[in-house]
Amino acid sequence: MTHRLVRYDFGERLMHTLAALAYLYLLLTGLAFWTPAFYWIAVVLGGGYLSRVLHPWIGLLFAATVLWMFVVWRRDMRVTPEDRTWRRAIRHYIRNEDDKVPPAWRFNFGQKQLFWLMVFGAAALLLTGIVMWLVASIPGELSAVGQIATLLHAVAALATIAGFIIHVYMGVAVVPGGLDAVIHGEVTEEWARRHHPLWLAQVKSENDARSRE
Amino acid sequence: MPATLELLRISATTAPAPGVRTMPTITKLVDTTTCIGCKACEVACQEWNDLPPETTVQMGTYQTLPDMTANFWNLIRFREHEENGALSWLMRKDQCMHCADPGCLAACPAPGAIVQYTNGIVDFQQDQCIGCGYCMTGCPFDVPKFHVKTQRVYKCTMCVDRVSVGLQPACVKACPTSCLQFGTKDAMLEVANKRVEQLHANGFAQAAVYDPPGVGGTSVITVLAHGDRPELYGLPRDPTIPMAVRLWKGPLKWLGNLAMVGGILGVLVHYVRVGRKDHD
Amino acid sequence: MASLAATFGRGAMTNGWTDIRNADVIVAMGGNPAENHPVGFRFVMEAKRNRNAKLVCVDPRFNRTAAVADRFVQIRAGTDIAFLSGLIHHALSHNRYHDEYVRLFTNAPFLVSEQYAFDEKSGVFAGWDAERHAYTDKSSWNYELDDRGFAKVDPTLEHPRSVFQVMKRFYARYTPEMVSTICGCSPDDFVKTAEIITSTYTPDRAGTMMYALGWTHHSHSVQLIHAAGMLQLLLGNIGRPGGGLNALRGHANIQGGTDCGMAYHNLPGYIPVPKADHDTLGAFLKAVTPKALRPNSTNFWSHTDGFMVSQLKAYYGAAATPKNDFAYDFHPKLAQTTEGGYENWSWAYIFDHMYRGDMEGFFSFGMNPVSNGPHSRKAIAALSKLKWLVVAENFEQETSAFWRPDILALVDSKPEDVQTEVFLLPAANFAEKDGTFVNSARWIQWKWKAVDPPGDAKPDHEIIGRVFLKVRDLYEREGGTFPDPIRHLNWWYTNAARPSLDEVCKEINGWALTDVRDAAGNIAVRAGEQLSRFLDTRADGTTLSGNWLYIGMYTSAGNLTQRRSYADPSGLGRYPEWTVSWPANRRILYNRCSADAQGRPWDPTRVGIAWNGQRWVGDMPDYTVDSPPDANLGPFIMLPEGVARLFVPGQFVDGPWSEHYEPVESPVANPLHPEHSSNPAVRPFGTQFDILGTADQFPIVCTTYRLTEHFHYWTKNNPYSVQLQPEFFVEIPEELARDKGIANRDLVRVTSARGSIEGRAMVTRRIKPMQIAGRTTYQIGFPIHWGFLGRGQQRGSLANLVTPTVVDPNSFAPEYKGFLVKLEKV
Repeated sequence: MTHRLVRYDFGERLMHTLAALAYLYLLLTGLAFWTPAFYWIAVVLGGGYLSRVLHPWIGLLFAATVLWMFVVWRRDMRVTPEDRTWRRAIRHYIRNEDDKVPPAWRFNFGQKQLFWLMVFGAAALLLTGIVMWLVASIPGELSAVGQIATLLHAVAALATIAGFIIHVYMGVAVVPGGLDAVIHGEVTEEWARRHHPLWLAQVKSENDARSRE
Repeated sequence: MPATLELLRISATTAPAPGVRTMPTITKLVDTTTCIGCKACEVACQEWNDLPPETTVQMGTYQTLPDMTANFWNLIRFREHEENGALSWLMRKDQCMHCADPGCLAACPAPGAIVQYTNGIVDFQQDQCIGCGYCMTGCPFDVPKFHVKTQRVYKCTMCVDRVSVGLQPACVKACPTSCLQFGTKDAMLEVANKRVEQLHANGFAQAAVYDPPGVGGTSVITVLAHGDRPELYGLPRDPTIPMAVRLWKGPLKWLGNLAMVGGILGVLVHYVRVGRKDHD
Repeated sequence: MASLAATFGRGAMTNGWTDIRNADVIVAMGGNPAENHPVGFRFVMEAKRNRNAKLVCVDPRFNRTAAVADRFVQIRAGTDIAFLSGLIHHALSHNRYHDEYVRLFTNAPFLVSEQYAFDEKSGVFAGWDAERHAYTDKSSWNYELDDRGFAKVDPTLEHPRSVFQVMKRFYARYTPEMVSTICGCSPDDFVKTAEIITSTYTPDRAGTMMYALGWTHHSHSVQLIHAAGMLQLLLGNIGRPGGGLNALRGHANIQGGTDCGMAYHNLPGYIPVPKADHDTLGAFLKAVTPKALRPNSTNFWSHTDGFMVSQLKAYYGAAATPKNDFAYDFHPKLAQTTEGGYENWSWAYIFDHMYRGDMEGFFSFGMNPVSNGPHSRKAIAALSKLKWLVVAENFEQETSAFWRPDILALVDSKPEDVQTEVFLLPAANFAEKDGTFVNSARWIQWKWKAVDPPGDAKPDHEIIGRVFLKVRDLYEREGGTFPDPIRHLNWWYTNAARPSLDEVCKEINGWALTDVRDAAGNIAVRAGEQLSRFLDTRADGTTLSGNWLYIGMYTSAGNLTQRRSYADPSGLGRYPEWTVSWPANRRILYNRCSADAQGRPWDPTRVGIAWNGQRWVGDMPDYTVDSPPDANLGPFIMLPEGVARLFVPGQFVDGPWSEHYEPVESPVANPLHPEHSSNPAVRPFGTQFDILGTADQFPIVCTTYRLTEHFHYWTKNNPYSVQLQPEFFVEIPEELARDKGIANRDLVRVTSARGSIEGRAMVTRRIKPMQIAGRTTYQIGFPIHWGFLGRGQQRGSLANLVTPTVVDPNSFAPEYKGFLVKLEKV
């Protein structure tokens, strides 16, 4: 039995789950509005009208969870000098040549990039979404605001979708234990050493310090 | 109501529209130079469509409301215009223009919520409408109006129920001066062009028919004495489906779809070629 | 109407709505037809579209008509006579008049009495008594007669006392500069407009004038309309397709009301009301039947006896016999006053009588005197003095509710101080009953009920029928001072409580009581048969007709008011088989004037009537149908001259023709003659309410008008109309608003010497400041449609709280247009 470490506490797991579910809903209903080929999704989810009504509210929920993540994770997500070397070695990471990848802290540079993509994406989606939500109250002279908001909403959504695809793929298929970690919160020391050695070291030294006291 | 065979375009569909029945394009002519702003059309519209009266206040103008509403689809806009000491009081009937290339329909995400008939009428089907308001951003004339209570969007139907049984729209029927006329597009263009020629001869060198090509022409054409400056009448100079909507419904949509499919394909290829990060 | 009758012979629109499409020039002045007659206005638009006709709009405001006019001129309210006189001068001085027409069809060749004079300095005609401040002798306002009693004429028009020469001299004062000084438009604007209007003087062109209450609501309204008549006669525009002087009636049936004796001084068919000193039928007929003034003139009123006796037969039936003068004694007569005149019971006078306590009760059917009469406060005070008031209406309105505290507060009174008993009878409205409307074009049109009246509401004829039966019953049982006229009234209807309108129509048209024979002794009309010609009426009591003018509406062919045919043989839109128009289905009055001396149409493309060698063909000729052109009967058959009157001998109380007088409240003294600035013949009422303001206190000229969105004080109950125009507003020129610090939508107060009214400011460029007699003068205006009851914002905004109780001395129409006010921000 290897030693298990707490990677995500309960709050983090809750917030990530909420964000994930909200995003999924937004993605699916958004896709329904995006193209007629996916409109059936809205029908499955309770009809086009209900989807249109819930989408902005779930959007607010998603924005709130992203804000929560921002508050909790923004320090861990700061880009460090090590991240630059990590970025240069990204092709090794993609090819699973992990021994040629520099060690990562709690989050590697890819995760950090996703985080910031989602933070800025959510902000853009929120702002443009609110404009689209209130489109009926926009005076005729400012109709361009509504049009641009709609366009930017789509652009922002596409950007987050790109990140989302990679994120899910990485977490579910590429990194064994990743999904498990974000659901149950714990990882093995072995897992931590392989994927986040600097974080492991940090956790260990912290634990040592605590046990010395 | 028009039959299935008269459906030329349907919003948000993946299949072609079934309209094969050929019908002449119908057109409403609005001759602003013979409009006296009597508002008979406003009330005729409400009464035919059984729309409730609006609560209004005196805003320092003869105009009934600042803008059309979900219950008020036909508004005469009054504007005082003075140049070179000559005053004119311009009155224009504002309503859905029934574009040949309708921006509302292009923008609409709800299948069948906006349809265009083979005779040119663009009609909202409120039972299919999801109330998203995309049509409002898609319209270059700022016509569709959101109803707070029903959460659907409304506009002039060109009295499609009357037209489909061979009657004129209610507003045309009520117009006392024949500034509103109704017929085929060819016939209305002929009347309009004749009037424009007369206006040219009477000193309005810039008189013109407003039938904007940017939206493929409209089924509501307007004779303007100051045809070079439609904005005097509150009409956009060269209306098109907004660039943002065209980008979004055109290249962006294809790029986006491609990117999404590409992304999924990419990770699949990665999984097959590289696979999971094995721990042993 | 008084003016049209005096000038042309009949008090009605000369042509008709559908004929306006034949005009080359259309002058809208003293009316805002696009606003108030939008449906009829389609014919203006047809003329513009199909003939490229020019529409000229002359008005104090750039209004809805101006919005589609080819030319607009702003003038000061109440200065129309000066503008029209300027046009007359322009036509005469630039030879822009139809010479042959004027010689043939007007009294231009007639010689004016040697005593006739006009004092240009003081502004009065001969006969003015400066001490009594009145015209005491009008004998000089006449023609010079020969020994047979016919007027002398000079066919060359060169005699210095010919009407033509006197007129030329009289109007020479109205130069473009003088017009500009008085009216406030620039001389250049005036001349350019005059060129367009007088362009119809050539035989191949025709121009029409359209007017309404903007001309009739002045203290000089009758002379104003006469001035327009003179101009149209000079231009040769009367009696011709596309021409005419077209009075636009504001209500669906106001023409019918006037035709059927609505005005206190006329019986149905414009027979004058008998006066107290006409003690026998013979004396009455002698007094009212005119004598021909030219040897050949038709003088159609010479048949007055037949018209009057037939009417008495309609009133009193079998009780009217040759022996009792056809019950002439039963007929009410106008009492004499101590000054030697006759009592006046026109609208403003009724309320003056009422205010002075001369009346016990008042029936108000379809009227709202508190709102629609001049000076609402005087009307409220007057109603407070009645014992009883009956209002028949389809909505509760200001008059039936005048006892409300907020309305009585206007006269500092309280409900408990008022003893008037008010009855409000629910009445059916126009769509809730059958009947006829007589439109401006004199078409008597049947209309069918659309819906049943709600609740207990009854049609007017049932209300009247039931009241009559009760009154007759009381007279039968109790006697009374003079029961015979009521007891013997010919109430022959099958259903006495609710007479059938079909029977009423039959009676108005009339029938033969016994066989009626023509001059040759042949039977013209059999006993019991409906009459079909005016000349079928008899003065011997063998015919019955409620209104001779409507003979032809219900003949043996049936009720022709229900006839509907689009047949248009002339191609000019006369539709001779669309219902029936008085007189005798003529669509264009005085249509003999549409052809020259030989009977050839002035314009072959627009034929009124033409002589084909045997008879006149085309429209129903307003002329003896088989009388050749050289018989020269005169085309104005209702006038004893046979020709139209430029100079009017004796019919008007304020002069034989039109002179510019200022409104009674005016910002300037009359630039022509300050001594008599306003109409000298105007008689002021003397009560404490009849007060006038002066320009130093009330410097702004104000006028009132109507909106297309509303019908009087009625549609304020209709949510659709209310939404279109929800609130009382005041139209204010931008410059004046700037001076007063008033912004659009601000609440403003308009105050006259009579009262004040508050409403929203509508700051506009459509009214411009004017230079009047060298001074900057502002005009404002507001619509009339609000009050105390109804939907939306009412706020007690009764327009007539500020209007003066000043009336024209001929027609007694109040001066609602052109009075003085001040304006402030609330």
